Amino acid sequence: MHFVSESVFGLRGRGKTTILLLMSVVFFVLSAGDAAAQGQKRYSRSYPAGQTVRLELYNRNGFVTVEGWNRAEVNITATLEAPAAVVFPQSLSGKIVINMLKDNAGRGDVGNVNFYVRVPYYTAVDIETLVGNLNISNIRSSMVRARVSSEGDITLTNIVASGVLAENTMGNILFDGELMENGSYRIASMKGDISIRIPIPSSFKLVATAPSTRSINLGAFNGGSMHPLGDGRRIIGQAGDGSASLQITNQRGAIQFLPR
Amino acid sequence: MDSDLDDVRAAAVREHLAACIACAKVCEELAAIIDLCKSEAPNSPLPPNPQALWCRIHNIIESEIKPEPQPLPKIEERRRLWRFSMPQLASAFLLIALVSSLVTVFAIRSYTQRSADDYLSRTSESQTIFERFMAKVGLIDTPQKARQKRIAAQMAAIDYWDRRVSERRRQWDRRMREAFDKNIDVINESVNDYTQILQQNPEDEITGEMLDSALEDKEQLLRDFSEL
Repeated sequence: MHFVSESVFGLRGRGKTTILLLMSVVFFVLSAGDAAAQGQKRYSRSYPAGQTVRLELYNRNGFVTVEGWNRAEVNITATLEAPAAVVFPQSLSGKIVINMLKDNAGRGDVGNVNFYVRVPYYTAVDIETLVGNLNISNIRSSMVRARVSSEGDITLTNIVASGVLAENTMGNILFDGELMENGSYRIASMKGDISIRIPIPSSFKLVATAPSTRSINLGAFNGGSMHPLGDGRRIIGQAGDGSASLQITNQRGAIQFLPR
Repeated sequence: MDSDLDDVRAAAVREHLAACIACAKVCEELAAIIDLCKSEAPNSPLPPNPQALWCRIHNIIESEIKPEPQPLPKIEERRRLWRFSMPQLASAFLLIALVSSLVTVFAIRSYTQRSADDYLSRTSESQTIFERFMAKVGLIDTPQKARQKRIAAQMAAIDYWDRRVSERRRQWDRRMREAFDKNIDVINESVNDYTQILQQNPEDEITGEMLDSALEDKEQLLRDFSEL
């Protein structure tokens, strides 16, 4: 019994070890195979940044995330799906340009490219993509521009810039930040929801248009100086001294204001 | 001969004439001329006194220059009305310049301020007086005409980019084609809705603006994808 149990124990122990080893090998092979099948590549590069930095990124398809950080350095990381696109950033006198459309012109079949870019918080950011979500956060600069030609959500978080432009055709847009004096803010979508999250009180002149849904929720900014026009398709008015200009258009979606 | 000489000189002349044949001859000729003149022109006027003659001429001229003495002061008064001093003239020019500048600035401001908004999307009711005047004169289009022109131009551009996209879309992968089609459908839906509303109510300001915006979006989408 003792022998049996030992032998059984011995057999079981060796079997377990073998099984574990085999599983590890299979997992490793599968993982490697999967990565190879996906053909994912990784690209990473850093650039020193001066007092004035501008990032221009034109992507075809894929996610783009831009984060401001407290370092005078631009760090670009890209994950390239197969068939891998060419990434060729150019840095010239404080301006970093990544143009995936130009660099891959004439190539019909190009895999998604997902960018994760960290920039000094004072960087002027200009991002455009054909398809995919855009996330920009922690930027305090002169300009933030985010445009998705077709579908993709745009999320702008903790943005303090005197010029902000966010546009897409399909997808939600969130602007979370502060409106600067004499700043200009334009947010437009064809189909999706637009949310504006700004501090109370904020000072701006508003033209908000939602012609199809007529759903414009001003939240805490709904007051005497705001006037509906065109049977509620548009609201115009002023909050505070109206120093900033805020223009929001959502052709087939809703607009809402949230307190920050 | 004229008895102008005194006795002493007259005697001397007579002595000379008696001795000199040539002078005596000249004297005789002169005497004959004087006699002839006296005998043939008894009614002729006296030899003119130059001073008296000039005085008469002057009187005649003056009398001709001032035939009507009364109207003259009126002309002078009128002339005085148009006579300005240099400071007056400078002030007048400054005033004219100031007024014309103000009018120009007002006109330009009222024109450009309104056109900074979307002129195409506006109605005739929301036009400024200056714009209405300009439209009546024919210097600018009415909002409806301007919108029609703009839409025609946008449609031409859309046709061009649409052809470009049609040529290239075979090279796209399936995901791109799907994304493009889905988005262009959404824009077309909006364009159709706005066109219908404008057919019923051409004065609808917001719809005009939205149609313009949707067509711009469509053109931009086509342009972006045509680069693939």
